Amino acid sequence: MNPESKDEPVVYQSVVLKNAAPYQYMKVCLVLEDKSTKVSAVDLKQFIITGLKSLHGEVGAASHFDVLKYDEDTLTAFLRVSTIGLVKLWSSLTLLGFYNKQSCAFRVLQVSPFLLSLTGNSRELELD
Amino acid sequence: MVRVKSRYLLCEINVTDRNSLLLLNDKAIAAAVKEVVARIHGDYGAAMCSLRFSVKYLNTQTGMVFLRFPKMSYKLLWSALPFITSIDTRWKKIPCFLNCLHVGGTIRTCQKFLIRYNTQQLHRMLPNCQNEEEKEKIRKAILSCSIIQGAFEDERDDNEDEP
Repeated sequence: MNPESKDEPVVYQSVVLKNAAPYQYMKVCLVLEDKSTKVSAVDLKQFIITGLKSLHGEVGAASHFDVLKYDEDTLTAFLRVSTIGLVKLWSSLTLLGFYNKQSCAFRVLQVSPFLLSLTGNSRELELD
Repeated sequence: MVRVKSRYLLCEINVTDRNSLLLLNDKAIAAAVKEVVARIHGDYGAAMCSLRFSVKYLNTQTGMVFLRFPKMSYKLLWSALPFITSIDTRWKKIPCFLNCLHVGGTIRTCQKFLIRYNTQQLHRMLPNCQNEEEKEKIRKAILSCSIIQGAFEDERDDNEDEP
């Protein structure tokens, strides 16, 4: 916009979120020993809840989180969790070691209070 | 030198049958607390509870119990106490619930509170006496079991040394 034109003053509005962000978004990847194992979205959520229950008990299992998107081929999921429950969820993901008696691990790829931030990742950026 | 800080919870054990209180011992209460904390807060809670948790005092006559928790995690452990519904003793399972009356930083403050609380309870119950004879009986009973002030002070000083 031309700053010279005074006809329509430009209105800037800065939005400041004073409170902490209500949700945190996580991009996690499940790495399994046997690559051919199929894990459905329901299985994944159940698996995470069992992890929460063993580490943080009934209180942890009751904390709310959502699987927003899940890709069965790459075993990558987007999780949404309230900021209060982030540490509990993250710590239980870390300590999940076995899925159906085969060793597994969760790789936390990205964590952000904004879902949009998970679309870009400079680590996987390929320059032409 | 900074001392290691703890929180002492003064809890009252509520049971339907008062005689079953006599079966309780500190180990049974500690086991019940540990079990419920492990259920509510999982492995994390159980780990917190294994660190400097102990039953400091148990009065089986009145059902008063002092629980010591590390100051760092007492809120987490406290939040699990209402979920205790029964205590397993060697002989039988006693249905009960814990009512937390006071939270203190030292055993001494808890003891002070307990004495004040018991006095209040006594004042509350005395008007229930039916006749003068009963009142006199109670007065005599209290006088016969009261401790001499000096001895009582010594006992308090002993408690202060608790870590």
